[in-house]
Amino acid sequence: MARPLWAGSLSFGLVNVPVALFSATRDRDVHFQLLHSPDCSPIETRRVCAAEEQPVPWPEIARGYELENGEWVLLSDEDLQAAAPRQSRTIDIECFVEVGEIDPVYFDRSYLLVPPDEGAARAYALLSETMADSGRAALGRFVLRAKERLVCIRVRDGALTLTTMLFADEVRCTEEIAAQIEGAEPTREQVDSAVAVIEELGVEFDPTLYRDEHRAHLKRIIKRKQQGKKIAAPATPEKEPVTTTAPDLMGALEESLARIRAQGKTGRGKARAKTDSGAGAKAKKPHTGSHSGTKKKAPTRQT
Amino acid sequence: MPRSLWNGTIAFGMVRVPVKLYSATESKAVRFRERHATDGAAIEHRRMCVQEGREVPYGETVKGFEVSSGSYVTLSKEEIASADGPGAHMIEIEHFAGREEIDPVYYDRAYNLGPGKLGDESYLLLHAALKRSDRVGIGRFVFHNKAHLVALRALEDVIALHTMRFADELVPVGDLEIPAPQRKPSKLEVAAAGALVEQLNASFQPDDYKDTYRAALLELIERKARGETIDAPEPAEIAPEDDLLGALQASLERQGAGKGSPARSKAKAKTKKGGANRSRSHASKPAGSAR
Repeated sequence: MARPLWAGSLSFGLVNVPVALFSATRDRDVHFQLLHSPDCSPIETRRVCAAEEQPVPWPEIARGYELENGEWVLLSDEDLQAAAPRQSRTIDIECFVEVGEIDPVYFDRSYLLVPPDEGAARAYALLSETMADSGRAALGRFVLRAKERLVCIRVRDGALTLTTMLFADEVRCTEEIAAQIEGAEPTREQVDSAVAVIEELGVEFDPTLYRDEHRAHLKRIIKRKQQGKKIAAPATPEKEPVTTTAPDLMGALEESLARIRAQGKTGRGKARAKTDSGAGAKAKKPHTGSHSGTKKKAPTRQT
Repeated sequence: MPRSLWNGTIAFGMVRVPVKLYSATESKAVRFRERHATDGAAIEHRRMCVQEGREVPYGETVKGFEVSSGSYVTLSKEEIASADGPGAHMIEIEHFAGREEIDPVYYDRAYNLGPGKLGDESYLLLHAALKRSDRVGIGRFVFHNKAHLVALRALEDVIALHTMRFADELVPVGDLEIPAPQRKPSKLEVAAAGALVEQLNASFQPDDYKDTYRAALLELIERKARGETIDAPEPAEIAPEDDLLGALQASLERQGAGKGSPARSKAKAKTKKGGANRSRSHASKPAGSAR
């Protein structure tokens, strides 16, 4: 197993659960190497000391903090830990909340917590079982990479999953944008129709419905180039016809509903055979998980 | 008003909503720069040609994809951009889902949208419909030559956009080896742990949490600037608990005696000087293991 990004313990009351932290996400991007164009030889980024004009090996790189007087304070890893020794090695659970209460704007990166050895497995099992039963998420905090992180921990597929969160002062207020919005509020009829469109396109969230086609497209372009084929110039972005008058929202909404429902009838649309308009109805429709008949196929897992 | 990061259009059925994208977050972490530990000088990142051993200006570089060891296919900026396709400036809402159905693990970065040119009315309409239906629009968005799954939702008076991970960007939990306990937790232990979770129940109030490390770190930097030596922290000793039930019962008693709900003690920590309060609340804990 890969090396953990962090190792420490999860503190729940007086119970300590030793845990190791692994990323819950993996990079699937197509990566490019920078090359020197005349001979296509690889380019390396080197760290060079500006005073000595010499390459600097990684162990000699320190974190510098610039003071107001222009002087620099250098900090070692130990210094960073000394600022908050306990938080650097313990995730303190402070309370338990409903995950749904947390606005998604706070979520940052996700990690998986794993017991490092068999000795820790029982306490880990106890905590994950208890949390799964309660359906709640633990809120806690710890220091990772020189930054304190508010974290939300819950059970996902049998593993404790940790998501780092932003602090309230790191979330920008929306007022400035809201203040710029001009124009008339939509009419009741318009909102009714728009909600009807939303209900027609309603599904239960299923991440496997969506595939990164951009990544696949980029790989195909690389393949074509490798075969010596010419790559067509990028298509000019679909420019919407420039309108100078306010759009006919009601007309667009009605056309949307007609199209979605027509698709539904030919069986090419969403599998839901719901035809009732439901316009204006606030009630949620029961979600159906079935998507047979849709164009999108679940991606096949690559190993 | 901050500058917009991207301009484009949301396709909501046949309704077009011109929008501008703004960042919804800003990191408040203490920022460091790389310095040379031996002489304190600045560290420069230089692009060096491995073959010639000399620095290369950016104009002489090209991007290459390694197809086999040491063999590259080069692509120009335009060729890479051609993968964006004609819909690069369009976010088509494909479905609408319930917000609570999306696990936090999918969320990546948060942005806010403002209306683009002549977009105010359609923007207000989409906002009103998202708000009333209490649903989240799901679509795809190409930004900086990369596609993202996105969630669009009403947040206060604006429409927020969250980039999300594609399903194959998640590490399957099965890839990690989670050791099974030799002895399963007993009923008593599960009951005591459940009671402790109950005791610690709270509702999430973002303002109750302040970054206490930022202040501690800045204070330490100040001490170091004055020439004080910083003692290295004690090495961590984390021993797995043997007496889980005993530790749980002691936690329940302590929590009960302390009376204060977690939310209340947190609120206190907020108003006081943070650090002092926290260390006091930990003082009753035995260091290391609670054996």
